[in-house]
Amino acid sequence: MSHMLCTPRDHAFSRRAFLGGGLSLLASPVLAEAMRQRDKQVLFVWLDGGLSQLESWDPKPNTEFGGPFRSIPTSVPGIHFGELMPKLAKQAHKLCVVRSMCTKDNAHSSGVDRIQRGDPKNRGVPYPHFGAGVAKLLGPGASGLPPYVWIKPGSGGFKAEDAGFLGPKYGSLAFGDGKPPDNLLRHPDISAEQDTARNELRAMLDKRFAAKREKRVVEANASVFDMAEKLMARADIFDTSKLPERDRERYGRHDFGQHMLVARQMLEAGVRFVKVTSYGWDTHGDHFNAQSTMIPKFDQAFSAMLEDLEASGLLKTTLVICLSEFGRTPRINGHVGRDHWPEAWSIAMAGHGVKHGAVIGETNDKGTEVKSQPHDIGAAFHTWYQALGIDSHHVEFDNAGQPLPIAHDEMMAIKEALA
Amino acid sequence: MKLEPKQIAEFKSERQISAARFNADGAVLAAVGYEPTVRLWAFDGKNLTPLPSLTGFHGYSTALAFHPQQPRLFAADSWGQLACFEGEKAVWRHETAHDGWLRQIAISADGSRVATCGKDGFIRVWNAADGKKLAEHQAGEDVYALTMTDSITFGDIRGRVESWNADLKKKTRSFDGSPLYKLDRIQDLGGLRVLLFIDGGRTLLAAGTTPQNGATPQSIPTILFFDVASGKLTKTVTHVSNKEGYVHDLVQHRSGCLMAVSSGTPGSGQLFLLDPAEKQAFHDNKKMANCHALALHPDGKHFVVTSTNRDSNGNGKSLAKDGSYKTNTSPLHVFEV
Repeated sequence: MSHMLCTPRDHAFSRRAFLGGGLSLLASPVLAEAMRQRDKQVLFVWLDGGLSQLESWDPKPNTEFGGPFRSIPTSVPGIHFGELMPKLAKQAHKLCVVRSMCTKDNAHSSGVDRIQRGDPKNRGVPYPHFGAGVAKLLGPGASGLPPYVWIKPGSGGFKAEDAGFLGPKYGSLAFGDGKPPDNLLRHPDISAEQDTARNELRAMLDKRFAAKREKRVVEANASVFDMAEKLMARADIFDTSKLPERDRERYGRHDFGQHMLVARQMLEAGVRFVKVTSYGWDTHGDHFNAQSTMIPKFDQAFSAMLEDLEASGLLKTTLVICLSEFGRTPRINGHVGRDHWPEAWSIAMAGHGVKHGAVIGETNDKGTEVKSQPHDIGAAFHTWYQALGIDSHHVEFDNAGQPLPIAHDEMMAIKEALA
Repeated sequence: MKLEPKQIAEFKSERQISAARFNADGAVLAAVGYEPTVRLWAFDGKNLTPLPSLTGFHGYSTALAFHPQQPRLFAADSWGQLACFEGEKAVWRHETAHDGWLRQIAISADGSRVATCGKDGFIRVWNAADGKKLAEHQAGEDVYALTMTDSITFGDIRGRVESWNADLKKKTRSFDGSPLYKLDRIQDLGGLRVLLFIDGGRTLLAAGTTPQNGATPQSIPTILFFDVASGKLTKTVTHVSNKEGYVHDLVQHRSGCLMAVSSGTPGSGQLFLLDPAEKQAFHDNKKMANCHALALHPDGKHFVVTSTNRDSNGNGKSLAKDGSYKTNTSPLHVFEV
């Protein structure tokens, strides 16, 4: 296979270039393409611990391992979801579900990383999370807002490690409980003039700092201030209090619902990649009772998001992905739990670049094996990059001069899933 | 009298069992569990001999109750079905007695009425003879457990425990079982499993667990004692540690002692016996893994505990010696007291 080496810089399109270039530049096919890419966004919903495929996307009712729940018809004839997802069942025509995921790791500690980094061949360097890869390849977009944000329960902070070899600049900016970083806004006792003076001093010190340090560290350092500046101007994206009460109810008062609502605001504001994490899906005990309270909350918030993205037109330009590090065992343990199961599980997608109303792949009657072509996470990465218009077999990362594939180089996209 | 049970036999079951009961004369043991059938065994004082199973259920068979005098068995499933059997024949059957998971069945002392509760939040009362619906009550959220005296006493996922009189169609008492509930992240952890009256109806027990965390719950087996007249919580019994999980079944022996079984995480559950006047179990048996049901024989001299095969949990694809992916099972342990 021939690889046309292409560095991320080739895809770069700065806000400054856009603003400074004037509208005439839009006539350029290159820039027009770049603009088109700028519009693409990603919502990445991570159900940490492992959503059970059997109680959600791939029900096997009335079978040996099918569990107690019923399945329900969806808006796509012939396709059924678990009964705990009635709202998503009505929106199945927007979804693309892959039921043939077969991955390699059944441990959280290693599995989370492998899945979020696409489990490429070992190159001796840590690969970036998908969000970091998208941030690098597509940049922050016209909004100028941080390109990779992460809304999660608990604490926030800058997660440089998510960027792997791309360097800390492309790490995720985590907003704990969907809240802005502490002291985001300028202190009222500091005037705009004082603030400007401080920033000028900082810029001068940055130059000295930069002179003796590695470029990627300097970039990361500078990018944090840029991010802060952009966020200060858009602090409103954290505030859901002014939204209609109906919206807050539709997403659910629980933390996942409210975090998804913040995520919607961030997508509307133009953030390139928004990850939302829900913890607590590792149901080794009392699994069915747990599922019966958790999945409906996921169903509520995720379906409200799909409705709203469609209504606003953003679903046309936003790739939506929902997954975990693995699924859950068909067998029920003595604690009435399901354990970790990478052998045959499901992911769901919607929006830009993927087929709508599609179910890809098939598991056997008991849900213990993938019956069709199995797909590892590398195939999913190719699919996602290609859905975003990035040629995952030719575009490469630049690891300090070393070209590295952006997705597992022996895997292919799940073609049936691509629009 | 403090009982000292001794296991006299053990039998295999092909599937996992979640509840089991003997019929009125003790000749038949019935069990429901993780399959859409009700399994039956003939019992001769020591041996359990399989009988033809009762079929026509969906999902999991979830609940059962024998008529106190007649050879009738009432059984339910997780898709909402309630059926009444005489022998292998269904006398009546409601495919959708509840919308979804029918959690428990209770029968009145005279055998005339059957009460059910479910995930749909309803309590329903049925004529035991013909299955006609007599009353219903929208109790609120997922109703996990119920028992029947002159009123129906039920408890839901949040530990809200109430008595409701089906004739008067009104609430008669309420009890605070909220120690059996916790919200952890987006998981509502409902710890209630069993409601049981003792002391001639003067004391209500609410048994299950005190939840501590979701996902892989570590929690301590718990029995709440309520004074029925005042509705007040008078005593809380917890057993061993927060590794031992849930009281899944609780019965009272004719001697007065309480008999409970539990399954744990990461512990493996126990059989334990308790004098209701005391706070600590006087007997526990840790030899069985993850126990889910305890069926007390009407002779008071025998009981059966269903446990789970050892090494029932495990990530990934652990295969049997023949290369197949097998389900877990519930050994049946016959005890003599």
